[in-house]
Amino acid sequence: MSDMLADTTPGETVVVEHVPDDGVRARLLRLGFLDGAVECRHRLRKGPIVLRRNGTELALGADLAREIEVTPGESER
Amino acid sequence: MSCHDHGSVDIESEETIALVGCPNVGKSVVFNALAERYVDVSNYPGTTVDVTEAAFEGAKLTDTPGVYGVSSFDEEERITRDIVLDADIVINVVDATRLDRDLFLTLQLLDMGIPTVVALNMMDEADADGTDIDVEALEAVLGVPVVPTVAVDGTGIDRLRERLPEAAAPDSTPIEQWFEDLPDDVDATRAEKTLLVEEDEPTAARVTDGEIVADGGALTFVEAGQREDVYTHRRRRVEDAVADAVARQDRESSWADRLSDYMLNPLTGTPIALAALAAIYYLIGDLVAQRLVDFMEVTVFGTYYNPAVESFVRSLLPNASWVEPIEFVLLNDNLGLLTITVQYLVGVLLPLVVAFYLVISVMEDAGVLPRLAVLTDRGLNRIGLNGRAIVPMIVGVGCVTMAVITTRMVGSRRERLISTALLGLAIPCSAQLGIIMGLLAGLGVIWWFGYVGVLLVVFGVAGLFLDRTLPGDSTALVTELPRMRIPRPGNILRKTYNRTKMFLREAVPLFAVTALVISVLDYVGGLGLLERGLMPVTALVGLPQEFGRVLILGLIRRDFAAAGMTDLALGPAEMFIGLVVITLFVPCILAMTMILKERDAKSALAMWLGSWVAAFGVGGLLAVIL
Repeated sequence: MSDMLADTTPGETVVVEHVPDDGVRARLLRLGFLDGAVECRHRLRKGPIVLRRNGTELALGADLAREIEVTPGESER
Repeated sequence: MSCHDHGSVDIESEETIALVGCPNVGKSVVFNALAERYVDVSNYPGTTVDVTEAAFEGAKLTDTPGVYGVSSFDEEERITRDIVLDADIVINVVDATRLDRDLFLTLQLLDMGIPTVVALNMMDEADADGTDIDVEALEAVLGVPVVPTVAVDGTGIDRLRERLPEAAAPDSTPIEQWFEDLPDDVDATRAEKTLLVEEDEPTAARVTDGEIVADGGALTFVEAGQREDVYTHRRRRVEDAVADAVARQDRESSWADRLSDYMLNPLTGTPIALAALAAIYYLIGDLVAQRLVDFMEVTVFGTYYNPAVESFVRSLLPNASWVEPIEFVLLNDNLGLLTITVQYLVGVLLPLVVAFYLVISVMEDAGVLPRLAVLTDRGLNRIGLNGRAIVPMIVGVGCVTMAVITTRMVGSRRERLISTALLGLAIPCSAQLGIIMGLLAGLGVIWWFGYVGVLLVVFGVAGLFLDRTLPGDSTALVTELPRMRIPRPGNILRKTYNRTKMFLREAVPLFAVTALVISVLDYVGGLGLLERGLMPVTALVGLPQEFGRVLILGLIRRDFAAAGMTDLALGPAEMFIGLVVITLFVPCILAMTMILKERDAKSALAMWLGSWVAAFGVGGLLAVIL
């Protein structure tokens, strides 16, 4: 059972499972955000969500976060 | 070196060295440390992205836009891809604190077989973070020279220069396994093959030489989804390389992390953003656009320059009747080529341009802009924009002309159109706003709130309208948040200088031609005819015929129109309507010239005509209500 990225709360660690948009998926893949657990740093109410992995922070718009599926992840490393 | 004036470097005879790296890794600092002479900033052909070139040991050194990989996701990537494909050597600048992110691009360059030297930059920050990088191990795993640098203080630059001849790429690449899937007869280099198996459509189009593909669909040689296989494979290698070369210790968060957290939390971020906006407004809108520009216009030009030029030119011209039109074009009080035109360019535009580029460069280098975009993303989504469009809107309240240039950074063509249209329509520039505030203050504070309210409604409605009517979807915000840093003054000044130079080189000829055309039109009596032609619309908003004169001034400069309003004797409601109309009315000539240059003639005309409709539509409505 997977959740939506938009429902992740700050501090939670998740694994991104499914990104419908090809372009966005390729960009996340390049940056290493599909390699394993990512930390949710911030979530603005009805606004963007900020993810962090190995020090790199990435903001994703709310519409995008609503269509990205995630599963709870163990914080690794 | 050839002695051509432009096309500064003869490409055939010279080696090309390209600096390639992710955004904010210090590419430009490395570039400036290596550049020997003649730095040339120009638009990449057919685009609005700046590319900087310089000479370096008999070769051409090119700085490229920051990208996370070589492909075609946006304009910057397409430009970098083209430069990389033509380069003889690449200096890949990587951020030592972000190896996990940056090595993807490095390995991609090596897979492509591009001779590469890696500049491992920001070693000081990596040390401060407690990240220990084994440079020799990294060099061994990559198979190319790796030079640690701290570009901002010049550390490692000499070593980088020394090791440049060692630039290399491994003889083979693990992604060759996918090359076999390509047709046997495909005529492509290893670099092109790499991009082909990654489903890069422009490369596919290039190697097929524009052949028409039967199904009319995307030009690809490979199965859909192969890009992901190649990318995933490369990510595994990045992880292995990082595991081999990097030992990380956790440190407590730095001031930069904490400041970033404060900025992204709406409770603390909103006041910080508002304070920053107030500071920017004070600098650009008040200090420069009002005080400095006033001083330049009234004292420097009004008292000294213009009278001096007028008497000098008159003393040169013979006293004959055929001289009169020439004298008019050169010296007239509206837009004389040698007087008022120069006054606009040097007295008005130059101070604004410099101030604006200073502010933008500081915000860029400090890492503030992407964080502002995150804060405002939700609101801007509603009018078909994403958070990145906040920058042009802020700048627009200072100067709409400058803001039109910054619409380059807002994403798709659709978003650039929406933000440019909103800027032209509903954002008053500071010069105009100053006079309008004065006039409204005389009427009472309630009229001021009314004015702001009407503008916000028009802004929102126009945004919604454009979002609904323009085809396509807007792009979602996907932006990296770079580490916050204290900007380096040297870097800021150099950026400001380069950008100002480039702006003036483009704007001066454009504006001179425009001024010439207007002056000729004025001389043959075209402007007088216009004023009479405007009578129906002035009547529509219930204002006297003299308002037509104000509108004609507004065609040229918005604050002229506002100043013209001070001469009219009007009741409070009429004054209010007049001010709303001149605010929504067409952008000034400078802004229009810039819109024409940045967008296309059709959009520019639509925006210009749309401003008429909106100004008199809203004005007429208010005339009925009030």
